[in-house]
Amino acid sequence: MTMVNININGQKVSAPAGSTILKAAKQAGIDIPTLCDHPALIPVGACRICVVEVKGQRTLITACTFPISEGMEIQTESPQVVQARKLVLDLLFSERNHVCPICEASGNCELQEMGYRYGLNHWTYPTFTKPFPIDATHKFLFMEHNRCILCGRCERGCSDIVANHTLGLRNRGNQSMIHCDANLPWGESTCISCGTCLQLCPTGAISDKRSAFMGRDIQTEQTKSTCSQCSIGCGMQIITRGGNVLKIKSDWDAEVSGGRLCEYGRFDPLYDVRKRITSPMLRLRGKLEPVSWDEALQAVAEHVGKASTKDIGVLASTYSTNEALYLLAKLFREELKATNVGVLNDVAPKLSDKRGSLADITISDVILVVGCDPLKDQPVSSFFVKRSVDKGARLIVVGGKDNGLAPFAYMNLEMADVSKAIEIAERAAHPVVLYGSGVTDKAATALKKLQGKASFVAIENGVNTRAAAALGLNNGFKPSGVKVLFTLLGEQKMDDEYVSKNVDKKAFVIAQASFISPLTERADVVLPTAIWSERSGSLTNTEGRVLKVNKAVEPKGEAKPDWEVLSLLANKLGKKLGTSLNEISARATQELK
Amino acid sequence: MAKVKIATDWLAGCAGCHMSILDIDERIVKLLEAVEITSSPVTDLKHPPKEGVTVGILEGAICNTHNIEVAKVMRERCQILIALGDCATFGNVPAMRNLCGTDEALKRAYLDTESVVDGLIPDSPELGKPLDMVTGVDKVVKVDLFIPGCPPSADAIFHALSELLAGHVPVSFPPPLFKYD
Repeated sequence: MTMVNININGQKVSAPAGSTILKAAKQAGIDIPTLCDHPALIPVGACRICVVEVKGQRTLITACTFPISEGMEIQTESPQVVQARKLVLDLLFSERNHVCPICEASGNCELQEMGYRYGLNHWTYPTFTKPFPIDATHKFLFMEHNRCILCGRCERGCSDIVANHTLGLRNRGNQSMIHCDANLPWGESTCISCGTCLQLCPTGAISDKRSAFMGRDIQTEQTKSTCSQCSIGCGMQIITRGGNVLKIKSDWDAEVSGGRLCEYGRFDPLYDVRKRITSPMLRLRGKLEPVSWDEALQAVAEHVGKASTKDIGVLASTYSTNEALYLLAKLFREELKATNVGVLNDVAPKLSDKRGSLADITISDVILVVGCDPLKDQPVSSFFVKRSVDKGARLIVVGGKDNGLAPFAYMNLEMADVSKAIEIAERAAHPVVLYGSGVTDKAATALKKLQGKASFVAIENGVNTRAAAALGLNNGFKPSGVKVLFTLLGEQKMDDEYVSKNVDKKAFVIAQASFISPLTERADVVLPTAIWSERSGSLTNTEGRVLKVNKAVEPKGEAKPDWEVLSLLANKLGKKLGTSLNEISARATQELK
Repeated sequence: MAKVKIATDWLAGCAGCHMSILDIDERIVKLLEAVEITSSPVTDLKHPPKEGVTVGILEGAICNTHNIEVAKVMRERCQILIALGDCATFGNVPAMRNLCGTDEALKRAYLDTESVVDGLIPDSPELGKPLDMVTGVDKVVKVDLFIPGCPPSADAIFHALSELLAGHVPVSFPPPLFKYD
């Protein structure tokens, strides 16, 4: 890497060639204020708050866009710079409504921070030139145009990160405003509710309906975790206050997602209205009654312990942690020798020994989507695809005109014509195959031709499907003949009638679940399980990375994390499978390598 | 040494900034050794004395002709004028009516409100006339020191007065005391 030597405020700084002044300064620990710039976005130099003085330059220049060159001498807080920044602030505050006391963002607002930094204590110019509307039509968000400073971060996030292009800027000068699909109410637009704009907005122009006015950053706790809604494993931060989850933010530093998150991950878990199970329950005289953990586990141990191997059935949700799946596999598959073991979702076939990573999509020139619907099932993977298509990659969707990505495709093919797609991929430099459980056997065989050439990324159904399959839990479950059924359901929704219709009425059913459902009502023992925000452990994403999930709040009622329930059950059965999370985690990780 | 005279008054505000002055608490006893509060909305004497004061403090925004009069009287009778709080410095909540216009705001408040029957917009000659635009105090008279905050903390007010007494001009605020909310 070629290094360039520059001088900032008299301090010698050396930074990689091609860095902007802002990046070089940041690396040297010199703070240059910004508003329209964001590390996840392509800089545009719109707000002019980052202007700096560069020796030999005719005017002040924007640090966020200007590349450094050898010997450059920069002043970041000279009187001229400070005066210019104050002017910019005066102008920003002169339009619209920037009254802090009644703003949701107050305390977390970047514009307010700038005002404090430069001691803005009154408004130099007349204000309130033109009132703007408020758009509250969106399911989860408000857009308060009067608080907008037109930095364009939301709009650039919508394009540069998510490639959805819903948000745009219209008009010029003080008539400018953010709009959705060239003037549709937000709630009726093509918005996919990923919430990226919410997180990028530096002011109170975009706010979250659910958590508005419920706590500023300094009043809340942030817990880094991993989204437990699909197999991508996006990094997230759970924002809590007083033991309540307020909102979910994406984690810009996350290795897999780099700050991406979708509706399923950011909003849906907070709007779950299903009723929680708060205590262990046991069927006594035909009725489910709350009992102690010990009684419930004793009942499970008795039935499981005396059942013969072929009578035991195990169904596992892939929404479970590595630790829980590991214990389930150890306990039932190895110790109890059960073979009738299955997972609750389909598993994508193995097409290549080496699985590709999502990052491969960003550098690909041809993307094959086969037997899966990334946009519908795992939206974040579709962000990668659509962004790549924006940059010129060719997308070929195989199998299904209803595919969410079909409108973005260069070519839509039937599954029978998969060979045409393979031919094109063979000629490409960096082909990527996104595939799911919808790949037919024939197509799978054909696709194997691309081994070594293409990068294969499975869009797995479920969450921890890869770990479940690796641990041998996807062994093909058959409901007939099962006399003792153990279901590790967790938070997953399952076909309401599956068990009541297919499993023997006399079978002893154990449901380890978080929510009340027809299954738990049919069950003979119910073991309450913690949900995503209440459990620690790890998940294995589709790329095979082991990602940490961390507990942000205490489990509701007497619920326990999925792994802990299984660990207690193993103890009851006299099997020593580890007791602490760390111990089980280490063993599970070792097993999954 | 003669005590430094301070007068306060309020315009379109909520009295919150004056509450914050009282929140100086027991420090006010020490302060009163050096200053005399001649008049304020919370003392018997309401108007700044004709012979003048050193420091005048105004809370609230300029939203009608009466506010302009009060602000001008204070400006004439004080040497250092402090705009106290977000309304006096920025306009704040009262100024949000600028977004819909004064006529619309009056109509909504006095005629269209759901509980109103046969409403009337007050127009007694004793009342100040509402202005078309609500502004901070500095748009009407010269202001020497701005203390933003809604309300400014008692610490910020105490700090400002202490600094003025010590002759530290212009007064600067350490970050925790400089707040807009």
